[in-house]
Amino acid sequence: MIQKKVCMVGVFATGKTSLVRRFVHSKFSDQYLSTVGVKIDRKPVRVKEQDVNLLLWDLEGRDGAQDIQTSYLRGSSGVLYVVDGTRRETLVQIAEIHELVSKSIGDVPSAIALNKADLTSAWIINDGDRAELGKRPWHVFETSALTGAGVERAFVWLAEQMGSVAS
Amino acid sequence: MAPANGDDSPTDAQEFARLRSLLVGREQAELERLRREIRDRTLTAENVGRHLPEAIALRAESDDQLARALMPTLEDAFTESVQRNPQQIAQAIYPTLGPAIRKAIAEAIGGIVEGINRALEEGLSVRGLKWRIEAWRSGVPYAQVVMKHALVYRVEQAYLIHAETGLLLSHVTAPDLAAPDADVIAGMLTAIRDFARDSFAAGTDGGLHAFRVGDLSVIVEAGPRALLAAVVRGHHPPALAERLQETLELVHLQFAGPLARFSGDAAPFESARAILAECLETVVDTSGKTHRGLVPRLAWVAVFVALAFVGYILIASQIKWRRALATLRAEPGLVVLDAHRGLRTWHLQGLRDPLARPASVVLAGLGFDTSRVHETWAPYISADPGVVLRRALRVVTAPKGVELSIAGDTLIATGAAPVDWIDALHARVAAIPGIGAVSDTRLTVILPLAVQPVADSVAASHVFFETGSSRLSDAAQAMLRGLGGSLRTIEASLGPAWRAELDVVGRTDTTGSEQLNRALSDDRARVATDFLLHAGIQTTRPAPRGIGTTNPLPAQTLEERARVNRSVSFAVRVRRAEPGGERKQ
Repeated sequence: MIQKKVCMVGVFATGKTSLVRRFVHSKFSDQYLSTVGVKIDRKPVRVKEQDVNLLLWDLEGRDGAQDIQTSYLRGSSGVLYVVDGTRRETLVQIAEIHELVSKSIGDVPSAIALNKADLTSAWIINDGDRAELGKRPWHVFETSALTGAGVERAFVWLAEQMGSVAS
Repeated sequence: MAPANGDDSPTDAQEFARLRSLLVGREQAELERLRREIRDRTLTAENVGRHLPEAIALRAESDDQLARALMPTLEDAFTESVQRNPQQIAQAIYPTLGPAIRKAIAEAIGGIVEGINRALEEGLSVRGLKWRIEAWRSGVPYAQVVMKHALVYRVEQAYLIHAETGLLLSHVTAPDLAAPDADVIAGMLTAIRDFARDSFAAGTDGGLHAFRVGDLSVIVEAGPRALLAAVVRGHHPPALAERLQETLELVHLQFAGPLARFSGDAAPFESARAILAECLETVVDTSGKTHRGLVPRLAWVAVFVALAFVGYILIASQIKWRRALATLRAEPGLVVLDAHRGLRTWHLQGLRDPLARPASVVLAGLGFDTSRVHETWAPYISADPGVVLRRALRVVTAPKGVELSIAGDTLIATGAAPVDWIDALHARVAAIPGIGAVSDTRLTVILPLAVQPVADSVAASHVFFETGSSRLSDAAQAMLRGLGGSLRTIEASLGPAWRAELDVVGRTDTTGSEQLNRALSDDRARVATDFLLHAGIQTTRPAPRGIGTTNPLPAQTLEERARVNRSVSFAVRVRRAEPGGERKQ
């Protein structure tokens, strides 16, 4: 069984936790996030006829990049950034976080989940923002923890990318 | 050819050499090189032995290539040697093998014995019973309950974790435990380590080494590429951490390549499970003296000792009781009719002859405390010989020189006694219960002093005969008649119960055969006896008695001796008349 460490980062209340709760096997309670600052879950995916266990390190920056413990990033094969499409400031903060991650572990396969896709009407991210996002080396997925849209795809994509990196 | 003309001028020689070098110079050089090589090789072969040890030492210092290169050869050589001559190898390794085997056996036996001891102890002890009840009530297997209570520590899980990613490389769990979500736990452990280091010891190389959660400890040993985390229940010794560290070092050594190349595939670490499994150990308290068990154990010992003591007292008391009863039953003059014991007292009831020893005296003689003996004895007359004798001695006091004894119901007097004492003995015997008869036949009668000279004169009287004759002379007949008077004198002094008789003994001189002499002496005694009886003088029975020449009377000369021994002599015998009248003639 192949295992990969994936860090999931985002700022407070981006819906990351509900994303995880719905799609992954959760052993630990959410309280870990606020105490230790990390919560680890397992997400099994199937990539190229092969089972891969993604070990999701759920990190949370309560007020942005400064709250992220960089040591948790170490050894990560991929990063999933979570942005709340309804809160523009999360997009700004995620840029800072991305800087931090790149500085810590270099460029690893990364994806960004524009969460709350079920609330696109409430989105305040404009095309300019999207273009800005497109400049960075990540793949953008629109996800919804509510409907499940895009979430599985994002994980599988990441797993595929990491597989190619590894081999 | 030019040089063939024989004129070998130096110029020509040089020319020739030049020509030769031009033509075959290259071959010459080659030839020289080959020659040198052959010579050098010879030299090397000679020297190699001299330099070999040095060379080996030098090479071994720089790297381990030599060892690696030699290893297959050595292994082959060893295998070959074992196959060819196993005995030699066996002898060589015997000194190390022997102790090792002994140690292994001793440890195995020790383990078995310990196991048996423990099983016995727990199986029989109150603690063991308590655990069985607990197991029965909770539905948990007995072994687990024992484990819970007797456990010192137990390594329940071991995680081998990739240091950088926190990904799980390998994991083992104790057989009876459910498998946890090892991969996420491994990640979380790594995260917590990071968290602890970042929070409290930022910048240092150290990290979280151990933490306790309730009864569990998690020990984390860190290596450059991997972490080894052990979940331990109970109180583990410091040595455990060292052992984990050694295990981790072993893993680093054996899996150096896979650790360096790790990118998420844990398959190469499958074989590390065996190494981790060695860390799973259970240490139980086999001393049997647990801190909780000591006081109840002592209490049990005390109870046991007390019971043993009470048991001893009871048995000892029973043995004493039986011994006392047996002694009392054997005591003359005591008849035990009823005997029973109270808690501290003895009750005895029976018959006792007044002359018997009191029971309390008998018991005191055996060392018993007679203050706790309650006895009731009814008097009776015992026919026990011992008591009867005691009774007789109270009635007749034996004078010096007389001993009394009992045989059946007959009181036997032995020794020498005066006539009046013998009279008294006979007179009082009838009054003594338990005595049917008195025997005085073993008594010598001491005559009263007044008549002793009479008896002496009788003893000094002799009837002499002619040689070979048994005819009584007139003088002899007169003398015999005179003896009757002596007897009557003695009888008169003794009293009516007594008879005085003459003991008649015939003798001869030494002339003639012994057979004839015996017959002659008999004749003489009979003639004298017949004469006495005819004259109304009693003789002892059986009569008469001739003794020939045996026991002769002494005399000064041979002639005198012959004369005095051709005789019959007399002695006075006194006896009490048989009850019921005169003795039959």
